[in-house]
Amino acid sequence: MTDLITASPDSPSVLARPRPRRRRSRGWRNALIGWSFILPNLIGFVAITLVPVLAMFALSFASWDGYNPPSWVGLKNFRRLFKDDASMTALWNTLYYAVGYVPLTMLAALGLALLLNRKMRGVAFFRAVAFFPYITSLVAVAIVWNMLFNPQFGPVNQFLGWFGVHGPGWTTSTTWAMPAVIVTSVWRDMGYYMILFLAGLQAIPKELYEAAEVDGTNAWQRFRAVTVPGLRPTSFLVLILLTVQAFKVFDLIYVMTQGGPGDATLVLAQQIYQTGIVDGQYGYASAISVLLFALVLVLTLIQFWFNGRRERK
Amino acid sequence: MTTTALERRQTPRSARRVIGRTILYALFIAAAAAILLPFAWMISAGLKRNNDVFTIPIQWIPHDVQWRNFADIWSQIPMTTYLRNTVFLSIVITFLQVLTGSFAAYGFAKVKFRGRDTLFVLYIATIALPWQAYMVPQYIMMVKAGLTDTFLSLILIQAFGAFGVFLMRQFYLTIPDDLCEAARIDGLNEYGIWARIILPLSKPALASLALLTFVTTWNDYMGPFIYLTDNDHWTIQLGLQSFIGEFNADYAMMMTGSVLSVLPILVIFLFGQRYFIQGIATSGMKG
Amino acid sequence: MHRRKFLQLAASAAAAGPLLSACGSSSGSSSGSDGPVTLTVSTWSMSTTPEFKALFDAFQKLYPNITIKPVDILAADYSTKVKVMLSGGDSTDIITMKNTTDYGQFAERGQLRDISSLASSGTAPSLQGLSSFKMNDKYYALPYRQDFWALFYNKKLFDAAGKPYPTNMTWDEYATLAESLTTGSGGSKVYGTYHHTWRSVVQAISAAQTGGDLIGGKYEFFTDQYDIALGIQNAGAALDYGTATTQKTGYQAMIETGKTAMLPMGTWLIGTLWADKKSGTTDIDWSMAPMPQRSGASGVTTFGSPTAFSINKKAKNVDAAEKFIDFATGPQGAAIVAGIGIVPALLNDDTRKVYFGLDGMPTDAGFQTAFKPDKVVLEMPVNDKSSQIDTILTAEHTLVMTKQKSIAAGIAEMDSRVQTEVE
Repeated sequence: MTDLITASPDSPSVLARPRPRRRRSRGWRNALIGWSFILPNLIGFVAITLVPVLAMFALSFASWDGYNPPSWVGLKNFRRLFKDDASMTALWNTLYYAVGYVPLTMLAALGLALLLNRKMRGVAFFRAVAFFPYITSLVAVAIVWNMLFNPQFGPVNQFLGWFGVHGPGWTTSTTWAMPAVIVTSVWRDMGYYMILFLAGLQAIPKELYEAAEVDGTNAWQRFRAVTVPGLRPTSFLVLILLTVQAFKVFDLIYVMTQGGPGDATLVLAQQIYQTGIVDGQYGYASAISVLLFALVLVLTLIQFWFNGRRERK
Repeated sequence: MTTTALERRQTPRSARRVIGRTILYALFIAAAAAILLPFAWMISAGLKRNNDVFTIPIQWIPHDVQWRNFADIWSQIPMTTYLRNTVFLSIVITFLQVLTGSFAAYGFAKVKFRGRDTLFVLYIATIALPWQAYMVPQYIMMVKAGLTDTFLSLILIQAFGAFGVFLMRQFYLTIPDDLCEAARIDGLNEYGIWARIILPLSKPALASLALLTFVTTWNDYMGPFIYLTDNDHWTIQLGLQSFIGEFNADYAMMMTGSVLSVLPILVIFLFGQRYFIQGIATSGMKG
Repeated sequence: MHRRKFLQLAASAAAAGPLLSACGSSSGSSSGSDGPVTLTVSTWSMSTTPEFKALFDAFQKLYPNITIKPVDILAADYSTKVKVMLSGGDSTDIITMKNTTDYGQFAERGQLRDISSLASSGTAPSLQGLSSFKMNDKYYALPYRQDFWALFYNKKLFDAAGKPYPTNMTWDEYATLAESLTTGSGGSKVYGTYHHTWRSVVQAISAAQTGGDLIGGKYEFFTDQYDIALGIQNAGAALDYGTATTQKTGYQAMIETGKTAMLPMGTWLIGTLWADKKSGTTDIDWSMAPMPQRSGASGVTTFGSPTAFSINKKAKNVDAAEKFIDFATGPQGAAIVAGIGIVPALLNDDTRKVYFGLDGMPTDAGFQTAFKPDKVVLEMPVNDKSSQIDTILTAEHTLVMTKQKSIAAGIAEMDSRVQTEVE
């Protein structure tokens, strides 16, 4: 390792020409190279996604029915947003969902990946099984989980009954619908993120484990000393993706509870769909989207900052 | 003899291992059965008459098995056309996403330049928006470009996402910079490093990106629904939804179709997961 | 199986359609001499909605120079796609209106063509539910089918319980009847009635029968109807709301498999039951009675929801589009629609005759009486706020029906939310 670093162009031995000029030209060259790598994806991204997103930002200050020319209304949509009980409920529900869904899915996915990252007979089968919930039809998911959570005949409450616990109404109860939805979401998505962790585990040099084993460490110490730091970029990826996913969740909840009972599982994405496309108030829906965007941006920045600090340590 | 002595000494250990393995497998199989429960319902519903699908309590084994559902579905809806369209879209989108994603990721992970991280955060924050939020402006743009009801519209929308960029960038971060530096000294330019050093090392990440993109595209409903109008352009997911009419729905057939549509994914998965066996990837970093 | 049979039936009905009413076809063929026209019409789930194909085939026969190209959209998300398409400036000629909520929005935004002249010519003024499409004294759509709610029942289950078939009754009589028809338990339980999970099952019927206003922001008039619905549910005479909604219970399966003796539902179910019985999907012996009424009410009041055709403001073939609407909502179109078991908006003695004459329709006098309600009130008034109000009323409905909120508390919440949140 060390010999590689000393041989790098920055090492004093190679430093012959005056430094500042070289730095600047190198900066330019790097920028050129960097942009050339990013551009093929960026052009598509800007043209297809970023432009409509900017349009959405502009619309959040307008009143638009989706057909006639929009009219400027300033901050009216945002003032309405913070007064609107339904949107605020959706905001809190989304946060509630994220707080439950993100850590649980992360743990479940990591656990599965560690368990299934080994050479054993049939491991391909078990990996496929773990991934199956993600590709199972949403209708089937909703039906079976609702059946499991059924207050009277459902196995979940029967199980609780053995311990003398009188189970709640789950998806028919305003208090327990969200936990039920979170559990189902974790079950559904854990296989998806397991794939990412499995790929991440491959990136950890085998030699590091061998070296640690020679040092006489036990499995837990190896996990702490080799796996955890080696998985850091993957964990960061999964954490951000899960956060993003949690804030834009819609499909599964909609199929399972339609946002109900009442508005107990109404989330921001459903509220955006409802106010925008269904009610035709695109300006207001855009304002909700801007709130969602800002929220995720702040969370992402915080996560980046923490991650950067940990990496520098 | 020495061998028997050795064997005798090893027996308790291997017996313990056998018991351990058995318990492990038993646990795995129990967990697998629990995880697959909704899938089992899907198969069971696919083999029922429509009126028997939503019985209370759930009827797990159809009392009147309708094997013919699996034959009938091919004539009831143009499954072959839908399959062909879905395969085409999934392959093209996956290919483009993997290609542009892994290429851009190199720029974000291994080349230092001003504005890089800001741009990256912008990418990620944008994927946080639910599609419904900017669907209408995007659609209007596509209409202006004359791209609605073409496969190209969907390819453009889904192939240049931030997901692939992010995934590959994180993976590239685990590859030591020293490796790139060494290659630079050997006279490789940045594109050469990407193609000859980085890509071969990131097979597991490429496999997972390809797999996840493929599955997402395969199962996408809303995108094709909004952009593809002509029935000849429809995908499997639209075909399955067509079993839901205004007042009545044929859930049995829908589940039959769902089971069929999962099979190709299963094949792809079993093929792709071979890249997740630890030991295949070598970091190239010795010591 | 069942779908294909349905299509065959539809096709044969389509062929029979023009014959049934061959009288009014003289004016057609000469007009539109300026070459072939391709008329685009938005439809939902063509393969399971036979009326579209039937109408199109007959129309094309009448006007050989007009070809109809359906723009087929999945039923489940029809209005989402139509809204997005129209935002993009789509020029599909005829936009089919699935419900009056969407109609209100489209008309308000000026996305539809004024077709008041069509509404005042020929048989159009006598169309059922026409008045609900009047906005600012103009018509932007004409209904071609008009479904209304009635009480379906399973004759065998009534016979087994030794009860006479239902006729006019009050809600209290209905509740008592439902209890007495409930038998068995567990998986083999047969319920006296089944109330589907839609809020209209309680709310729209009470608005229709009490004269209450669904968009007014005062919902005390729901109280009696919630009392009835919850009473039946508490007595175990109807499937519990929570179970029905979480298990996605299908009302069609409930009646077709004999799990319920009665079922208040829209008349679209007639066409389904009729076709399913023909194809052998079910062997239920069914008929239909009028919706139960409030005690002391005179006549039969129920609610309904019309389905209509309208012309896109950006349509390219206005002439052909008007011809199609005139045809589809006129006597010929009505006969075709009736011929496949669907209630046409032009409901007169001629179309009733077609309808009752269908092979396999119930022949009892009770069915025919149930077919003539005295008053059909629109399910949801045409208003550009109705989709927002619908969201609120649905949310509170689920809370009341799952007993998370008392009736009074639920209604109080509806009042305050509709008054403060809707903008």
